[in-house]
Amino acid sequence: MDFGYTKAEEEYKERLCRFLDEELTEEIARQNWEDLGVGPEAREFSYRLVAEGFLGMSWPKEYGGKGLSPVFDYILLDELGKKWGAHVPLDVGYTMVGPTILRRGSDEMKKEFIPRIIEGEIEFCLGYTEPNAGSDLASMEMQAVDGGDSYIINGQKTFNTECHYSEYHWLAARTSDFSPDVPQHKGISLFIVDMDSPGITIRPLWTMSGERTNEVFYDNVAVPKNRLVGEENKGFYYMMEAIGSERNQVFVPQRLSPILQDMINYVKETEYNGKALSEDPLIRDKIAQIAVELEVAGVLCDHSRWLEFNGLPMSYQPEITKVFTSELEQRMVDIAMQILGPYSQLTEESKWAPLRGRISWYYLHSFMTTIGAGTSEVGRNVIAQRGLGLPRSN
Amino acid sequence: MDFNFTSEQERLRKSARDFLKTECPSSFVLEMEADKTGYSPELWRKMQELDWMALIIPEQYDGVGGEFLDLMIMLEEMGRACTPGPFFSTIVLGGLSIMDWGNESQKKRFLPGIANGEIKITLADSEPETTRYSPYPISTVVTVQDTGYTINGTKLFVQDAEVADYMLVSTRTFDSGSIRDGISLFIVDAKSPGISLTPLQTIGGDKQYEVVFDEVKVLEADILGGVYDGGRQLDSILQKATVCKCAEMVGGGQMVLEMATEYAKERKQFGKPIGAYQAIQHHCANMLIDVESSRFITYKTAWMVSQNLPCVKQVAITKAWVSDRYKNVAGLGHQVQGAAAYIIEHAMPLYSRRASASAVAFGDSNYCRQVVASELGI
Repeated sequence: MDFGYTKAEEEYKERLCRFLDEELTEEIARQNWEDLGVGPEAREFSYRLVAEGFLGMSWPKEYGGKGLSPVFDYILLDELGKKWGAHVPLDVGYTMVGPTILRRGSDEMKKEFIPRIIEGEIEFCLGYTEPNAGSDLASMEMQAVDGGDSYIINGQKTFNTECHYSEYHWLAARTSDFSPDVPQHKGISLFIVDMDSPGITIRPLWTMSGERTNEVFYDNVAVPKNRLVGEENKGFYYMMEAIGSERNQVFVPQRLSPILQDMINYVKETEYNGKALSEDPLIRDKIAQIAVELEVAGVLCDHSRWLEFNGLPMSYQPEITKVFTSELEQRMVDIAMQILGPYSQLTEESKWAPLRGRISWYYLHSFMTTIGAGTSEVGRNVIAQRGLGLPRSN
Repeated sequence: MDFNFTSEQERLRKSARDFLKTECPSSFVLEMEADKTGYSPELWRKMQELDWMALIIPEQYDGVGGEFLDLMIMLEEMGRACTPGPFFSTIVLGGLSIMDWGNESQKKRFLPGIANGEIKITLADSEPETTRYSPYPISTVVTVQDTGYTINGTKLFVQDAEVADYMLVSTRTFDSGSIRDGISLFIVDAKSPGISLTPLQTIGGDKQYEVVFDEVKVLEADILGGVYDGGRQLDSILQKATVCKCAEMVGGGQMVLEMATEYAKERKQFGKPIGAYQAIQHHCANMLIDVESSRFITYKTAWMVSQNLPCVKQVAITKAWVSDRYKNVAGLGHQVQGAAAYIIEHAMPLYSRRASASAVAFGDSNYCRQVVASELGI
């Protein structure tokens, strides 16, 4: 049993922290976090990360990586997260799509995409959810039919975030018709689609916290056959085998630590009745509880990451990380709102807004965390069925 | 990073689990709750034959020389079985304290006896004025006389005092103005004249006592480590005891989870196992989240303790979390298992009662969160 880092990991972490202290600003962090697009500053920042050798540590050497342990990439995610909840600037490609291409893509596909992902040049957006396929994703209807050299794709996706600035759509579509004899999930394939392909229309959906997500319409979009990922009709398996690793990289508890730090500073600096809020036992108790839960989330996350980088089977463990971290975000922000009292309602633009309006923004944002990437309810079904062997309910 | 125990440690866990499954079923635990001493000399002897008491005692004092994490495994298994008897008090509160803080002659005098199961020790710290938990408000006083020292005062919640041969007693030797200073720990012969015990009846069914010290004579040689440094010693002793208590709670929580899951798979209502209903699945999922999170945070903290890393905040975080979660798991365990588990002979109440006792041992979650807050600099 060992909860420490190796010397090389420790050194990487120190070097990275020094770099982030100098180069990463709140403005850059927010561009990505609020899904408004990777602006010029964030692109520049990702090139700086590449130039300093911080990206691609755990990726294979033959595609431009350094072939080291995934621990290095987790350190990168954690240390970025500690600064205003920042992500890797080109996030979906680096943390979600790339690993599946490595696992299931052809050599040609790996050569085409992996080096550009590691070098921070391209971004992907996920194309899974449809208006009638949310929690029941396998019931998706978007159709990809054989058109000779290419697939011809028709249908609609929704809540596809980052589509308006990504180069590629990581698209799931049906390659065999619905049939009572074949389970729905056995007719789905994955594709890489150029976002500027003729026939794609993107319409914005604005969320309650001001982030942009999108509806995406496909009207006879031709996708070359070499952009099929792996085998036809295996797409749903690829999505599911990637889900543990995705959760390990997307639900990063350290991204919540800036909220805790903001609240610690706030209660030390803010007075009520001539005394600092930090002297109020109730407030101390609430903030301590946030710190307790954040530490617990960290060790849960470390555990499922550890399973992953040792090649041990993951089933329900990343789901625990997901459910716990997303619900922690809601509890944390709710506590922060209670502590800010009447000031909690003020938004960033307002006179008197405390903590740069971050808490009221996070509050609105936090409604999404237990829904996006799978609801807490579906998560708990998975935990009960895979983790404890309880029978399926249907 | 490595979440694995060594294969030797896994063998230790398996042998402890197998042994306790046979020797310590819940019916035996209930029997021991009704027993005056709460302890079976026969079980104690068998545990000694398996070297459990010797496990972490260094080899030069006739022990096995195991590490702190070995003890965590053992306590997790004992928590799983609600094992009655003075193991925790003797090994954790007594043995570790003497190993860490005793001087050479105290180690020679006590450790071999602990290792071979002949000496049982406990800690007497809390006092009546501790209406909210804190280790420091100590008014049990020591006065110096020509022939040695005299202790006067009342201690509460002293575990296993009736079977203990010695007690580690916190006393106030001088008033420095700071409650953490001026404390000294004495190793007191539990059969000394002037000591009287009154058993306390607790919902946990464990054996706790009021211990009154009336003109109890001790010698300078009985001061732990021979130094007037009780505050620092107590901090360290309680820190380890807290992590050990968390290990026990993790084992208990795991057992409740297994009982409830088993029941949910077998019990049928409306034509289906109740575990097929999402309401029950979500209760069980919540229990699993609680137990796994408690386990990993406890292991991490135990590892930090074993590495001698600073861990005041970490220990408080762990106890705050595990105390609350074990109680939650017990509540859900009752809810899933329904009326059957409300009956006294059922194993379930044993765990919910123990969860309540453990939650307040060595600092409840409210106390721990205040420690965390201070450590956060607020």
